Amino acid sequence: MENQKPLLRAEDLSKRYEDGVLALDHINLEVRAGEVYCLLGANGAGKTTTINLFLNFIPPTTGTCYINGIDVTKDPLEAKKYVSFVSENVMLYGNFTARQNLDFFAKLGGKRDLDKEAYYQVMRRVSLQEKAFEQRVKNFSKGMRQKLGISIAIIKDAPAVLLDEPTAGLDPKAAEEFLEILAELRGEGKAILMSTHDIFRAKEIGDRVGIMKEGRLVMERSREELQYEDLVKIYIDYMKSEPLTA
Amino acid sequence: MLKTIIKKEVLENVFSYRFPLFALICVVLIPLGIAVNNLAFNKRVKDYSEQVRLANEAASTIQMQDVMAGTVTIKGFRRPSVLSVFTQGFESALPRFYEFSQQGYKQGESSSGDESILSVQGRIDFVFLIQMVISLIGLLFASDVIAGEKEAGTLRAMLSNSLPRDKVLIGKIAGGYLALWVPFGVAFLIGIILLGLGSFPLFGGDIPARILIVFLTASVFMLIYFTMGAMVSASASKARTSLVAILLIWAFLQLIIPKLTDMLAAIVHPVRTETEVSLEKSLLAKSLDTETAKELGRQYDLIFGAGREGTANDPESPESKKWEGVKNEIEQRARERKSQQVGKIEETYEQQKRRYQNLAVNLSLVSPSSAFARLIADVCGTGELERTQYIEAVRAHQKALDNELFSKVKRTAMIHPDGKTSLSFSAMPVDIQNLPKFSITATPLADAMKENWQSLVSLAFWLIAPFAVAYVQFLKYDVR
Repeated sequence: MENQKPLLRAEDLSKRYEDGVLALDHINLEVRAGEVYCLLGANGAGKTTTINLFLNFIPPTTGTCYINGIDVTKDPLEAKKYVSFVSENVMLYGNFTARQNLDFFAKLGGKRDLDKEAYYQVMRRVSLQEKAFEQRVKNFSKGMRQKLGISIAIIKDAPAVLLDEPTAGLDPKAAEEFLEILAELRGEGKAILMSTHDIFRAKEIGDRVGIMKEGRLVMERSREELQYEDLVKIYIDYMKSEPLTA
Repeated sequence: MLKTIIKKEVLENVFSYRFPLFALICVVLIPLGIAVNNLAFNKRVKDYSEQVRLANEAASTIQMQDVMAGTVTIKGFRRPSVLSVFTQGFESALPRFYEFSQQGYKQGESSSGDESILSVQGRIDFVFLIQMVISLIGLLFASDVIAGEKEAGTLRAMLSNSLPRDKVLIGKIAGGYLALWVPFGVAFLIGIILLGLGSFPLFGGDIPARILIVFLTASVFMLIYFTMGAMVSASASKARTSLVAILLIWAFLQLIIPKLTDMLAAIVHPVRTETEVSLEKSLLAKSLDTETAKELGRQYDLIFGAGREGTANDPESPESKKWEGVKNEIEQRARERKSQQVGKIEETYEQQKRRYQNLAVNLSLVSPSSAFARLIADVCGTGELERTQYIEAVRAHQKALDNELFSKVKRTAMIHPDGKTSLSFSAMPVDIQNLPKFSITATPLADAMKENWQSLVSLAFWLIAPFAVAYVQFLKYDVR
């Protein structure tokens, strides 16, 4: 894995917002194919900003992001062909059915010739109930929405996946199911960058875990290293430590 | 990609609770407005035909002694505009007829006198519906076209794909607009079918072309308001903020600017009322006539002296011949003086009116609503151009009647130095049955469009500017 070219790479990435807040401070990270990288951190630590920068939603102040070796700031449209995104509250069109949502986002992701059965298969794969396939999503539970969100990522079949706190608010069963799907995607060779508050699940799924504090990546550990360290203790110690800017 | 976004926008609108409501408003109100105005038009045409018949009957019984007595008035009627079924414009405000006499022309009553008190609030016609109802609904539809997706987060999901933002914006505007335009188009078509089922001359002259222009202009007007809504929506982060801003913009453009500009123009270029001007003209004419009568009386007494009764009755006498020459010279001079001075009053009044109207129109064109209403009214023959054509036709008819009828009778009034007055008449033969007929030349469609270049520029500006602002705002938007 070490010899592979990273599919997701942040290089000296900083972001200072117009109001002067330094949201991200010279971050460097890499995620390779078949790897799950979990970004841990409190609210405002810079996790979502990192993902926003990867998606070119906001311009970086310094540094850049690469997706599949493509500079996101220089060629965002080409770079975004190689990435899927699932957010905390999966954003869907409430008046559309699950299949219609999937169809719309699949087409935006460049998959134009899929038939109804192809959509059904993906929804079955994420264990969405059959009866929900043609139901409007406005009445879906958070777990169902999350499943549909990951279906959208699966159907796009991009080599990299960005997940912004995808398990937040999910019940334990739904969260566990979600992680199972992530493990499958990892098995398919996807590079997955996931921001999360959930230390336990980060330890469970993450091949590498990074802890962010006040916009900095203050620690990074591999799965092997974490076998001998207590991630919970490390995380809490970092959170309790003095502010970095003080 | 663009097709996918357009389709999604159309479907999203169609599935929303607002769509059936909007479709219902369109399908009920637009054909109803057209049909009701068609009924009113038919009534006006019936009245017009009857009144013209009566006026022709009265004209055929005119006797020369009535002309000599100055009691003859001839009426010229304006035929109601066929396309007033789409917009009333000045239709109800214009006089139904003018009265022509030796003293000049005088306007008759307008047809607004026949209407119910409800018309004070503005008649529901096609243009009113588009200006006041459809434009507002268009803005409301557009209020969350971008802000709604920002707020819901679906914009993040969309833009996480390889999707150029300009395509997203164009797709959203095109799709949202299409969802509005289809029910509007269907409603318009129903309205036209209803007209066709009645006695409306749907295929007469250039009527199809004019109806097409009405439809296209209304479509553009809707697009303007939808794009304006999208502009606000692209600038706001929340749909509610966008909605409030949109309502303020609508009120400003629809209600405030059109009224304010008229008031401003009236303050900058005050214009006297028609009655004031008419009174001034008639006082001046009376004073000049009196002066002429006094001059004629004085000259008459100088020529005929004390024995005026005898020699004045002999047309071959040298005094009579001299008197004829002097009288003609005085009357000619008086006519020229009167025409010059009355003309000056009229010219000053017209200048004032033109200045006021030009300013009011130019200021009002700041609002797309005014530009739209002005253009449609002129295309439908109920606008400013029709009013101008009407008054020009009235002046031309008065001139024609003066030449063919009124000038054939000479009426000489004299006031002698001793205060006595006398009146004499002379008349030339007149073909009463073949007097000129009153008619108004309709403004050709091409001229109506040419005269409305400012309206077209205003509409083009309002179409491009909001899109440009929306484009810039959306392109620089930081997705968070």
